[in-house]
Amino acid sequence: MQIEILARPAASAARLSLASGESVTCEVGAMIAMTPELEVETAARSRGGSGGLIAGMKRMFAGENFFLNHFTARAPGQTLLIGPGLLGDIVHHRLESGSLIVQGSSWLASGIGVDIDATFQGLGRALFSGEGVFWVKCTGRGDVLLSSFGAIYEVDVKGGYVVDSGHIVAFEDTLQFTLGKAGKSWIGSFLGGEGLVCKFQGEGKLYCQSHNPPSFGKLLGPKLRPR
Amino acid sequence: MSALDHDITHRPDYAMLRVRLQKGQQVFAEPSAMATMEPDIELKAGLRGGLKASLGRAFGGESFIVNTFTARNAGEITFAPGPAGDLVHYTLRGQRLFLQRGAFVANSAGVNVTGSWQGAKGFFSGEGLVLLQASGEGDVFFSSYGAILELDVRDAYIVDTGYVVAFEDTLQYQVTVLPGLRVGSKIKSFFFGGEGLVCRFSGQGKVWIQTRTINPFLSWVYPFRPVKRNSS
Repeated sequence: MQIEILARPAASAARLSLASGESVTCEVGAMIAMTPELEVETAARSRGGSGGLIAGMKRMFAGENFFLNHFTARAPGQTLLIGPGLLGDIVHHRLESGSLIVQGSSWLASGIGVDIDATFQGLGRALFSGEGVFWVKCTGRGDVLLSSFGAIYEVDVKGGYVVDSGHIVAFEDTLQFTLGKAGKSWIGSFLGGEGLVCKFQGEGKLYCQSHNPPSFGKLLGPKLRPR
Repeated sequence: MSALDHDITHRPDYAMLRVRLQKGQQVFAEPSAMATMEPDIELKAGLRGGLKASLGRAFGGESFIVNTFTARNAGEITFAPGPAGDLVHYTLRGQRLFLQRGAFVANSAGVNVTGSWQGAKGFFSGEGLVLLQASGEGDVFFSSYGAILELDVRDAYIVDTGYVVAFEDTLQYQVTVLPGLRVGSKIKSFFFGGEGLVCRFSGQGKVWIQTRTINPFLSWVYPFRPVKRNSS
């Protein structure tokens, strides 16, 4: 599968070129356009993977859809264009070994060979990290496409790195994070508006998003008419 | 009349159109699209193409009124569409171009923009019964939210109905439900207000698609709205 990312970073879309027999799994509703020799199938489980109903339910809690769309090329040279619903960036991550832990709504698509499942990151982290309770765990070997709110940037963590809550897109599972205060003192951290931050430890790749969706939502909300 | 000397800047996120008019040359645009202009350009609002064409535009989701800009002396004028997004130029040489509701920005003399009745096809697409149709000879400019991508259809292409911006009249289209998408989209439209309908283009020609639509953004903003209090 060849992947090309267009119109980065604000209105990005991914153009996937599939050879005959190749397939890709996408978030429901991600399809913008496609050539006619792609077969579409909607299911609750990842291709060849386990799960079904329970996996679907877990994905729903992770902020994803209960269903997944599988696209399989019936003829050579098929093209599929996909994009997320909100404005923002797309990046391509090549999974070779281990797993990639993806923030709830940031998983967009993955190639065959990648198993997707929801994972629980602990109650404390769920409540205070600014992210969802469940995360999407991608395991195996293949391509993963991630989407975000704002632009995505990549950080190679060696040792430690601090990310403010709400800015995590995904990270390799060789990294661990704990919640902590941004400054030396709690008062300083909260007055500085940073509050709790995610402190990463270890070595691995970390994807962050430039903008934090709840911050933008809280800015817009009070200016709108009550519902 | 010669073609408009123009350029499109700041693509694809904040695209704007700049036109350099020669003395006596005209450009026509949707109301409020003009951003800046030199003082020697005269603005006149009116019903272009008569009542029938104006009504057609109104049914096609555009304004009844079209602004006419005429250069008394050579000068520059810029246009910016309402939503942040992309803008595309297309040259008409007698063929027709179909545009989605609200996509029209501007055109040169020699081009007519009006509505085109799509009947049941339009009804099923959920995008209104009337598409806009640009015909004649000259330049036409259209815009959308998100980036615009050009697809070269050689045989057939399937596009989600909400993402179609424009297409050439050499293409035929049919609004259908993809068999495989059906389960997902039925449930999706039930719970999440999605559509799941697709436009199947066949023949040879170009289709322009947008990479984002405004509805997911609106659904995302909704929960941030304050809740109304019921006390008198």
